[in-house]
Amino acid sequence: MILLLAAYPGVYSVLLNSPLGTEFQTVLPRVETMVVVLYFGLFAMSFDFISGYTGYLSFGHAAFYGTGAYFVIMAANGKIPLLGPDTPFVYLLALAGLFAAVLAVLIGAVSFRLTGVYFAMITLGFAQVMYVFIRGWDYAANNPRDGPAVLERTEPFNVGVPGVDSLTLAIGELGGDTVEGLLGVIDLGTAEVSYYMVGLVVLVSYFAMQRIIHSPFGRVMIAIRENEERAKAIGYNTFWYKLGAFAISGFFAAVAGGLLAGFKRSVSPDNTFYFLVTGDALLASIIGGFGTLAGPLYGWLFDEGVTEFLSKRGEGGGLLPYLRENLGEGLLSTEVFNGLTVQEGIDTFLNGHAELYIGVLFVLFVLFVPNGLLGTVRDRIGGPVAEVVAERLRGDER
Amino acid sequence: MTGLEALAGDLVVLAFVDALGEFLRPETLVGVLVDGLSKAALYVMIAGGLTLIFGLMGVLNFAHGSMTMIGAYLGGLLMVLAVGEATGAGMRLVAFFVAMAAAFAVLAGLGGAIEVGLIRRLYDRPPIYQILLTFGVTLVLDELARIVVLFYGIQPSSEWQAAFGTKPYFLDQQVDLGIISVPGLDLFEIGFGVLTVAGLWAFLTRTRYGLIVRAGSEDSEMTEALGIDVRRVFTVVFALGAGVAGAAGTLLMWDASWGASVPLAADTLLPAFVVVIIGGLGTFRGTVVAAVIVGMADAVTTWWFVNEIEFASLPEMTVFLILVVMLILKPQGLFGVEEVGGH
Repeated sequence: MILLLAAYPGVYSVLLNSPLGTEFQTVLPRVETMVVVLYFGLFAMSFDFISGYTGYLSFGHAAFYGTGAYFVIMAANGKIPLLGPDTPFVYLLALAGLFAAVLAVLIGAVSFRLTGVYFAMITLGFAQVMYVFIRGWDYAANNPRDGPAVLERTEPFNVGVPGVDSLTLAIGELGGDTVEGLLGVIDLGTAEVSYYMVGLVVLVSYFAMQRIIHSPFGRVMIAIRENEERAKAIGYNTFWYKLGAFAISGFFAAVAGGLLAGFKRSVSPDNTFYFLVTGDALLASIIGGFGTLAGPLYGWLFDEGVTEFLSKRGEGGGLLPYLRENLGEGLLSTEVFNGLTVQEGIDTFLNGHAELYIGVLFVLFVLFVPNGLLGTVRDRIGGPVAEVVAERLRGDER
Repeated sequence: MTGLEALAGDLVVLAFVDALGEFLRPETLVGVLVDGLSKAALYVMIAGGLTLIFGLMGVLNFAHGSMTMIGAYLGGLLMVLAVGEATGAGMRLVAFFVAMAAAFAVLAGLGGAIEVGLIRRLYDRPPIYQILLTFGVTLVLDELARIVVLFYGIQPSSEWQAAFGTKPYFLDQQVDLGIISVPGLDLFEIGFGVLTVAGLWAFLTRTRYGLIVRAGSEDSEMTEALGIDVRRVFTVVFALGAGVAGAAGTLLMWDASWGASVPLAADTLLPAFVVVIIGGLGTFRGTVVAAVIVGMADAVTTWWFVNEIEFASLPEMTVFLILVVMLILKPQGLFGVEEVGGH
């Protein structure tokens, strides 16, 4: 799967130039969108890390995502003491993560006395306090309601080993590095470079979280989800385990937020701290598979894919331009019902209303596929995909 | 500290004392009180249905805000249609009550359908799934509303602007209370809040069905054992809660600080959650008290923000700060029972 993701930009450009190019352009998300998929997927994973594995619905998880994003932007604007505007991006990510982890410990210390709905609500409460605060804090941005952008920083946001130029590459939606003639044949545009470099951070984070889940610590997390009373009875101090898991989760959520800031170079309260941001992570986790670490990434890939497919402008493809080009004027202006033409019908029901279909799908998933995409696949084949495939390849008997 | 800074510090303190003196004048206090009570009345109307549903079924209904939003549009639409016919204040008031009753009926139907069609399938799953489901329902309802509003061009049209002005004239005026005059709409809202509280309270404590509802929220298995179809009670209560949300929306449509819009769903959902949780999930009495607390805090901070402190988000933040402080001090809420928290 990682290989597939790694090959995506190449495959994408090959497919676009193939005879079915228009069709592929319509269906497949752009590479720029895939960058968003990666970092938001990381956020959704960090949400799933706490909510899917310990069973505590962290409904204010956007607080950590936003903390990471604002930390990076404010540091880049020289507004964080002791950090110059040109601090290497990788350090900023780590510091933002640590800052968010400390915050998570503080929030968790009071929140983990509660369970279930109450826990969801108190985390939501903290996140909303921060959201409202950041929206009115004019130190963070000149116009706090719209959020800050990078103004001071002269150095680009580089991912790689700080200080070694040959091992760092810049990311960015508008700027960023390009690579020409890597290994003699490969040329990469700014979007592709961002894709790989963001992907690298996400991959490292994923493996780190994966490692924790499979450690004894992760076992205790699952024990808490399955039966907290029993986990306590065995002698685990579940409070500290929950707090630890929350801090780790907050760390990676902030890294994801930092990547957002690095890629977009501007953030707003509404795409970081707002509670619907957590809602998006929730969507991704449910569709991809609650309690499977990689699931949220696929869930979000699916979500972004549908959104772009039905997007209004259809940059680089999407359903609308495709239909416009291929249906023909005659059909488009045909009346279907009471003066409603096909064109208007498409505009009304497809144009930019992906939320509707994602919402319907989400409800269907909650009702009928509670384990999500990846969880269901695992149930079918009887274990994590990678393990089962490896066993089959080796020819092991099950 | 230099002498100048000390002077500046003194000035800040002096300004604060001045503001406090201003705040403690009877005119200000009464004004803030009326403002706070009218806010509390709206909060109790928004949150009343939510607490009813949670108390009986243990379902935290994320779609509640969307129902309020739909109620606001529906009420506005009916008022626009009716106002062409009725111009007198009395007729407008009658039209308003008709619109409110219609919004109540439509949303009660919608709520009932959602309970029967979707939520009923989830009672044997962990409660987290009910939250998830209603969250999905919210997305669908909001987007549908957005499509309808866009398609019919409702929001920017001048006919729709008229919905705002369908208030009978005496609600637009200031009413003299002796020391101070207050907006008529505030008093109307307070009246409505009192009516809602009285109505729900009478339903819960004075009717046979209310008795069953209370028994069901106390111990649903036992109630079932007594031969009562608890499932059907669930449906009725869900419908009732949704209906109250719709009626509240109709009232919000007239209020300049709310108005009908798609984001109204989120704007009302969050305060409703706060009120319900502060009061103790599922206790109606707690919700009423919490609505008054939150409404007053909102009014007081709004006054201070307008007159003294320059931080635009203060009133909004206070609401959530109260929530967090409350949950830290007394996790089960004001009148909550410990066991309910075990959900």
